[in-house]
Amino acid sequence: MLQPDLVRLLTEGHVLVKSCDEDCLTGNTQEPRQSEGEEGEEGNPFNYTPQLIHLNKDHQLFEDGDIHRHMYLQDLYISEAEDKPTLSVSEFACHISGCSAIFSTLEEYEHHYNSLHRHVCCSCRRSLPSARLLDIHIQEWHDSLFTILSQRQDMYQCLVEGCGQKFSTSKHRKDHLIKIHKYPPDFRFDKTKKDKGNRQTKKQPQKDTTMDVEESMETHGSEEEAARMAKSASTEEHADLNAAAPSTESSSSDPLEPRYSYRVPTNVCFGRGSVRGFRGRRGRRK
Amino acid sequence: MWRLNKVHHKAGRPGDSVEELKLKRREHEKALRQARRDRQLVSKRLLLNDDEDQSEVTMDTNSGEQDVVAVLQKLHHSGPERDTHLKALSKALRDPSAQLTFIKQENSMHLLVGLLTGSDATCRLQASTKFTELCLYTLGNLCPDSIVKEKLLAQGIVPALASCLENQRHNLAVVEAVGFTLSQLLQANDAAEKIIPMVLASSLPSHLLSVLTPDPKFGLGPAIECAWCIHYLTCSMKDHRVLLAQGALLQCSSLLVSLGGAVAEGNKEEGMELLICPLLRCVGNLLSSCPLTDLSAQMGDVRIVVALCALLQAFLLTQPALARESAWVLNNLTAHSRALCSALLTLNLVPGLIQLLPFSQGINTMILRVLANIAHNKKDFCVHLAHRGLLSALCATLKMADQEMVTLSMDVIFMLVVSSPQVAEEFVKQGGLSLLEATQYNSEGEIRQRATHLLEHHLLS
Repeated sequence: MLQPDLVRLLTEGHVLVKSCDEDCLTGNTQEPRQSEGEEGEEGNPFNYTPQLIHLNKDHQLFEDGDIHRHMYLQDLYISEAEDKPTLSVSEFACHISGCSAIFSTLEEYEHHYNSLHRHVCCSCRRSLPSARLLDIHIQEWHDSLFTILSQRQDMYQCLVEGCGQKFSTSKHRKDHLIKIHKYPPDFRFDKTKKDKGNRQTKKQPQKDTTMDVEESMETHGSEEEAARMAKSASTEEHADLNAAAPSTESSSSDPLEPRYSYRVPTNVCFGRGSVRGFRGRRGRRK
Repeated sequence: MWRLNKVHHKAGRPGDSVEELKLKRREHEKALRQARRDRQLVSKRLLLNDDEDQSEVTMDTNSGEQDVVAVLQKLHHSGPERDTHLKALSKALRDPSAQLTFIKQENSMHLLVGLLTGSDATCRLQASTKFTELCLYTLGNLCPDSIVKEKLLAQGIVPALASCLENQRHNLAVVEAVGFTLSQLLQANDAAEKIIPMVLASSLPSHLLSVLTPDPKFGLGPAIECAWCIHYLTCSMKDHRVLLAQGALLQCSSLLVSLGGAVAEGNKEEGMELLICPLLRCVGNLLSSCPLTDLSAQMGDVRIVVALCALLQAFLLTQPALARESAWVLNNLTAHSRALCSALLTLNLVPGLIQLLPFSQGINTMILRVLANIAHNKKDFCVHLAHRGLLSALCATLKMADQEMVTLSMDVIFMLVVSSPQVAEEFVKQGGLSLLEATQYNSEGEIRQRATHLLEHHLLS
């Protein structure tokens, strides 16, 4: 219900606040405002602009009101007490590419996400949508043995489970994913060189997702590591990301980074139904 | 007398059970929805008399068509029985084939319009205006037919209605009838080209506006009809200068403020939503073309945002469509007015809006637009919004199935995060980073792009 003082405001007619004159005084016109914070920012994709919406007679939004009106004209009016229309609540959906699960509550969504998509790398705290991708990520980014081996043999696995192909560089793999498996070119592929000239598909420093995230979802203990990580400073993450140019460079350029990353073996379970993922992160929920 | 007092449950016959009534109503409703989809939504209306009985047998002969012709002949001679004849005609015209016959009769429209203007002119001499009303409803029921419309327009129906309204604006029953007939004319699919310019050029708009405030004794009927007329005028055109010049926005919004107040106090009169609905639409559409520089003169009162929030809450469960339309008006109010955005914040109306974000079918997308409009005013507004709990709400709306909610959520998160370091920090504290990280795997390219941009340029750099 509306606060009592606001009800009074409506019924007693005391205008306690400034009128719309403020708009004129500040010279606020209908010119489109500049988009946010784009000083020197390249390719800002955000472009929200407030819109005045005009609705014509036949617009969908007007349907229920029109029907109500005509029911009244035809003397079929029904008062509120007798008619109970249903108000619907939004559903939630997992938007991870390839996953199309839908949920009626946020809790169900969170449970799904934490069970299936929150596979967290201990070293960089990055969350990967599947266990397989996490394995590949750790191998390629945090394993110096991989770095050595990849100089002599094809080590970059195709991300699509079952494909089995391996490539000598991440770029070759990326091309394969785009060409053969129809990945969109803007997907989260690796940055190769930290090269400002080459910005097209190289914006994301992360590995990409897979098309088949539902697979291989056995229990996983990496969240326990993640829970520990939750308390650590965010600067650690910064360091990892900035250093994460090509995967071949990461371990050699940053002496602080661990040589091996640890993931709790899959045969260690921290209990079914245990909270997976960062504690205290969900915040207030409806 | 306020129509709702007289007519209830007309759908069924006496003896129908509650369930049968409900079923019949639902069927009717379904038929109306289909008609609307076909852009053929029309309704006829009956003049209610105290002695009117639906099952009354009016004709002795077995052919309605013959009756129509016969009655028409009788009506040509004005006399004391013309009331009876007209009543008979009106009833006969309920039959579609009789109606067709009537329309095809030469000069039938001419006759009716003549009867109307004649009756209107002599109204002061008559004890009752029932004849005028009957003329009007008869005409109004015929209007949806396109042949009829053309003939009526040629016969000067618009000036006839204008002078009727002008002469009889204190007779609310006649006002209601004029409103109904005019609304039937204005509802036509081609009204914008043929009828509306004529109406706007006449005195009708100003008179319609003058009778918008409902009379407590008579009831809401006349105001409802006139409000729907103004709605049809505003929704069919984008240029509203004539209506704005006559104070339409001011009048409609003031009325919404007082209705909102009544609703907020709990005085929800039955049928009130039938008036609130067209008023909302008038304000919404008039705003879409009102220059911002005129806004303060046209609106005057920031209480409109309070009224809209009151309506949103009051009708959310019972008439969600009305809540949706209120949210739409709020969007148009906040789109370019910093003052109104500010009012929403200072009057502490934002938490109430945030609570509406779970509700679908167009409500939450519109509300999120309103919040985005507020955030678009940058720093202080964003900080305020963050303090009211918008960030955690957005962490939930970002996970909704509706793609538009996801996109809008990203937009608002962006605006909040770039507005100030404190808000960015708060977002990170609430798990924003891992949320955006997950969003980088979103199936939609545009969303992925936005998540990455936000992470790289504003949160992690």
